[in-house]
Amino acid sequence: MNLLRRELRESRRATWAWALGVVAAVLLYMPFYPNVGGSEMMETYLRMFSPEVARLFGLDQMASGAGYAQATYFGLMGFVLLAIAATGWGSRSVAGAEASGALELTVAHGVTRWQVVLEAVIALLARVGVLSLAGSVTIWALNGPAQLNLTVGNLAAVTTALFLLTSVVGAAALLGGAVSGRPGVSTATGAFVAVGAYAANGLAGLAGVPWLARLSPFYWAFGQDPLTSGWHVGGLLALLAAFTLLVLASGWVLARRDLGT
Amino acid sequence: MTAAVVTSALSKRYGATAALAPLTLSVGAGQVFGLIGPNGAGKTTFMRLLLDIIRPSGGSVRVLGEDPRRGGAPLRRRVGYLPGELRLESRARASELLEHYARISGPVRPGATERLAERLQLDLGQQVGKLSKGNKQKVGLVQAFMHRPELLVLDEPTSGLDPLVQKEFLALVREAKEAGQTVILSSHVLSEIEAAADRVAVLHKGELVRVGALAELRASQRRRLRATVAASTALEGALSSLERVSAVSVVERGAEAQLSLLVEGDVDALVKALARFEVRDLLIEEPELEETIIGYYRGEPS
Repeated sequence: MNLLRRELRESRRATWAWALGVVAAVLLYMPFYPNVGGSEMMETYLRMFSPEVARLFGLDQMASGAGYAQATYFGLMGFVLLAIAATGWGSRSVAGAEASGALELTVAHGVTRWQVVLEAVIALLARVGVLSLAGSVTIWALNGPAQLNLTVGNLAAVTTALFLLTSVVGAAALLGGAVSGRPGVSTATGAFVAVGAYAANGLAGLAGVPWLARLSPFYWAFGQDPLTSGWHVGGLLALLAAFTLLVLASGWVLARRDLGT
Repeated sequence: MTAAVVTSALSKRYGATAALAPLTLSVGAGQVFGLIGPNGAGKTTFMRLLLDIIRPSGGSVRVLGEDPRRGGAPLRRRVGYLPGELRLESRARASELLEHYARISGPVRPGATERLAERLQLDLGQQVGKLSKGNKQKVGLVQAFMHRPELLVLDEPTSGLDPLVQKEFLALVREAKEAGQTVILSSHVLSEIEAAADRVAVLHKGELVRVGALAELRASQRRRLRATVAASTALEGALSSLERVSAVSVVERGAEAQLSLLVEGDVDALVKALARFEVRDLLIEEPELEETIIGYYRGEPS
């Protein structure tokens, strides 16, 4: 676990900065629920959009605290922030280290390529986990004051979904790096999966191809509205399976190719 | 003597380019083995193959008796490696980074890191990312030496080091040899490693040009001699007739002549021939590798 320890130590500052950003995002949205959600103004506002567009941004759910938190944070700002952070970490840990030459020196020591990938993955999970918790704990603290009426069980369910979803994004970046060794490709892979998942989920309805949404990790995470309806094991298992596949593929590829050429 | 490294027709290709043409050589245990050649000669490729950073396209290699790929992590704990392009970017202090490398390499004796750092004049309290190129190189050297590996693979170890530290480095190599460790080191300048190496392999464009004891190589080295001599009409004739002297040029400037020539191997006859004239200045330069050993063995004009 020496690589893990070093990775966490090197990115300690970045992790705290991201956590602060996530907390700030929550503080920016949640306290305004009593003024926005369920108010008359909101209903007037909603009538300005077609039902499809309103659904795309979760506006139709804004009337409840759970719907509001989902639409503003879990399905939007929280997802964006965590996906960007996870992509950055997934890209740095292998492709970034390879491009800088650090990976060459690391694997010249008594560590295996699989160890490099697995410890990078654990470090990724730990940091994405910190961010997920930072956001959700802040929301829980505001639950009463902001009249969100969330239950702790549902909040845990949606937090797990966000955590797994953004871990999948990070693992995609890792795989992009394991295959190419280039930070640009790695970051682009993570971004592609994040944007693709979001777009496929949101636009499938608008485009009249509802089955498309079911291919999206974003749908696996949030399609059943866990913040309103609790745990949905199927979607979480799908995320876990995708994550595992991405990690195994990363290890398999990295163990087989030349480094730093 | 057992061999620390044995290769048999070991090669590496990238598409159509041969980074290393089939190479067969053996480095005896306890030897200091030098790899000489310009950039792109295949030195780095060879070293990376030993560490399983890249995999061969053909042939085989045994490092300390094992295949690098199958030997895996346990084998690499017995090796110390300094990469050719060492870019250490970290906010950690040098001591922290070295502790990290100590944990993932063979066991490091207490105090070994500090002693090495002191000898190389490296401040362990500095942030690694803010160190100069030479100081980063020292961090690289410390991590390669600190666990007293059976085999040291050092790619351009002296690059960026000032002369005093270079000298200390050569002392470290000598001590490693005395302790029975094998050292493979590369350079594009022969003089940087000639004080340390027992045997030298000359690589050029991925091919082994020559391998042998250093003394043999030096005997066939071509050096450039420059001299300022009192002008004399007999000068050019006296020098051109000498064996192993070529490219003689004499430029007269008033009462003086600027002399330039290439001499191969022993300089005795040349110096004696020169002594018959009034020599005002004399300089024998070490040749650039490109224009000497390699050009010579391939019969190319220098």
